[in-house]
Amino acid sequence: MRERKAWLNGRQRTLVLFLSALIFLGAITLWGQLFAEQAQVTDFSRKDLAPCARYPFGTDWMGRDMFLRTLTGLSMSIRIGLLAAGVSALAAAVLGTAAALGRTMDSAVTWLIDLVMGIPHILLLILISYACGKGFRGVVAGVALTHWTSLARVMRGEVLQLREAPYIKAAKKLGVGEFTLVCRHMLPHLFPQFLVGLILMFPHAILHEASITFLGFGLPPEQPAIGVILSESMKYLVMGKWWLAVFPGLLLVATVMLFDVAGESLRKLLDPGSAHM
Amino acid sequence: MRKNFCFLWIMAVLAGFFWGCGNNKDLGSAPRQEGEETELSQAMEETAGKDSVIVAMGVNSEPEAGFDPAYGWGAGEHVHEPLIQSTLTVTTADLKIGYDLATDMQVSEDGLTWTVTIRDDVKFTDQQPLTAEDVAFTYNTVKETSSVNDFTMLQQAEAVDERTVVFHLVRPYSIWPYTMAIVGIVPAHAYGPDYGQHPIGSGRYMLKQWDKGQQVILEANPDYYGEAPGMKQVTILFMEEDAAFTAAMAGQVDLAYTAASYADQTVEGYELLSFETVDNRGFNLPATDPETKDGVTIGNAFTSDVRVRRAINIGLDREEMIANVLNGHGTPAYSVCDKMPWYNPAAKVEYDPEGARQLLDEAGWVEGPEGMREKDGVKAGFTLLYAASDSVRQALAAETANQLKELGIDVAIEGVGWDTAYTRALGEPLMWGWGAHTPMELYNIYHTLEDGSAGYSPYANEKVDAYMDQALAAVDLQESYELWQKAQWDGTGGITQEGDIPWIWLVNIDHLYWSRSGLQVAEQKLHPHGHGWSIVNNVDQWSWK
Repeated sequence: MRERKAWLNGRQRTLVLFLSALIFLGAITLWGQLFAEQAQVTDFSRKDLAPCARYPFGTDWMGRDMFLRTLTGLSMSIRIGLLAAGVSALAAAVLGTAAALGRTMDSAVTWLIDLVMGIPHILLLILISYACGKGFRGVVAGVALTHWTSLARVMRGEVLQLREAPYIKAAKKLGVGEFTLVCRHMLPHLFPQFLVGLILMFPHAILHEASITFLGFGLPPEQPAIGVILSESMKYLVMGKWWLAVFPGLLLVATVMLFDVAGESLRKLLDPGSAHM
Repeated sequence: MRKNFCFLWIMAVLAGFFWGCGNNKDLGSAPRQEGEETELSQAMEETAGKDSVIVAMGVNSEPEAGFDPAYGWGAGEHVHEPLIQSTLTVTTADLKIGYDLATDMQVSEDGLTWTVTIRDDVKFTDQQPLTAEDVAFTYNTVKETSSVNDFTMLQQAEAVDERTVVFHLVRPYSIWPYTMAIVGIVPAHAYGPDYGQHPIGSGRYMLKQWDKGQQVILEANPDYYGEAPGMKQVTILFMEEDAAFTAAMAGQVDLAYTAASYADQTVEGYELLSFETVDNRGFNLPATDPETKDGVTIGNAFTSDVRVRRAINIGLDREEMIANVLNGHGTPAYSVCDKMPWYNPAAKVEYDPEGARQLLDEAGWVEGPEGMREKDGVKAGFTLLYAASDSVRQALAAETANQLKELGIDVAIEGVGWDTAYTRALGEPLMWGWGAHTPMELYNIYHTLEDGSAGYSPYANEKVDAYMDQALAAVDLQESYELWQKAQWDGTGGITQEGDIPWIWLVNIDHLYWSRSGLQVAEQKLHPHGHGWSIVNNVDQWSWK
């Protein structure tokens, strides 16, 4: 019975974990936004400095403060992720639910999912970004239009399963209209899945944003984006300027992992199977 | 599983961290094993009397279409001596004209006919003699097919006998000898679609092997009509900047190109060679008021005022720019053709921030509360574009923005791709790189096209146009140099500070190389734009000691 005396129970612990991850990510986003101006400042009198108290992540070959630059870059990544994940999740929800409306609709949606999934992800991203004129718009469009597929598939599966559920069948027999059926009886059940899917989409979106800018198909190099920072740093690794790659890389991985933690904890909290641990 | 993954990941990062630290401190002077040390010194001793050399160049230097002058070999965007082929003329160390195949050249009074006689002792490497037929064939071919160079001034080349070729021009073109210095002569009997892959020439070297994407091996031509090349074998490796640096650190190359950002490093057994260039960087200032044509903005409201352009020209501290961006490896640039025979020294200006402020005040751009200038509620400033792939241009753009901010001009920088850069440069300043061994560059930048405006940045001045037209029509090359100089500044007008100053020139970038101790790189003429094949222009005269 000693466990009972623990500071918090499992559910509370998970909640704390979820909230702290969320707060940390929110802080990065805000902080980066606040210093967006300073992150672009170049000052050649302080170039190539190794990490020190004043510049915890060092400075690069144009004397830019890498700490601020990384923060702003991550903030941008998170915002792009937010936008992209939002759009993707919405598309997934609409299409997934639409699949429930009938057989023709279902095959149409499945076909669309297969089509998008059939093209290598990064290739599609590059194509869309390029077609939209690269830059911020291109990246957002690229990331948003490619990430909805797996969630849409999960939603569709759920919906198909739900359609066979007794309470849905009962509602149908009682003469509830198709639209009301979906909105009132299915959506509430789908919501937890949807929310977790949304949060777990972030890491993907952020990593893809980073890789597309790394490859040079995204933002121009004066912008503080995490992919830009990492691709620039490659050139300087051979000169021993390790700090240009290590800290931004670490922070990127930390951010992605925090999103993962947040998503997982949320799933634990919402999923009936694990809600009572 | 997840924990394991985390642990591994942290270990990997830490490992990278310590590796990085160690490397940072003693790069290049890392303690070597005994065995390695002796190996290295042996390698050094062996260099004396060696007659081969390995050179690392950038990946863009690999000629995409092979070694065919019609598709840019030697005569492309970045000009250099074609090595495998001979040319009629050559540019000398002071960028005047010397002879290679030619023994004499005459131009008619109207400037429309050039008569060139050639040597009679020249053979292609397939033992066939090189005749005027081959020369005429070459020029008629490049006129038809050249995708990179302008041959519209040539009407036809004609071989009148074995040794004499006559060029009929459409319009006078006094700098024709500079064109003749870059066009390699190909054999009429062995030219075909795959010539670029298997070139036959009469030059100092023959193509021995070409591993695409990796290396080119050149071998000395045993039948060369001139002085026999000192380097019997030249291997060119194509590498990215960082790969070239690591190759030098590993001792795998004799000469490796490098950039200013690497210049503070040291590599054991190598020295840093620095060559002056006309490889300049500068930006255009659209000189007309903005208007929209076919959805493209042409002209710029801020830079259309000549006082603003003059203020920018004297308000930039080029020396500081060189120290900051190029680590000192560059020279200030005041024109597109610094130090060339056709350069007008009147282009030079002194850094004068006070004068710049005064000019801006006169133009009506007065300082606002935060030190930034405005006029009628409009902020003084522009967007400075640069090629996103070029970190030096990015840094120059950033430095320009910083310096202009001190004058109260708000400059934003933006990286763009070349697909949009040319169009956008018509309305916004763009960071360019120029510099060639021909005055034609002046013409391309400042002379108007048919639509009445210069091609790369809107600008027009009838007097400047007239001088350049006269220069092209001149019969005497020396006389044409003077006319090119007058086009820049004739005492009352031109394209310099006191004139219209539609382009601002910032720096000439030194070309830097890691050179193995003992390699004697022969004296270089001023390198043109493009950090590539120019270095091996005279590889036949290099030696080891």
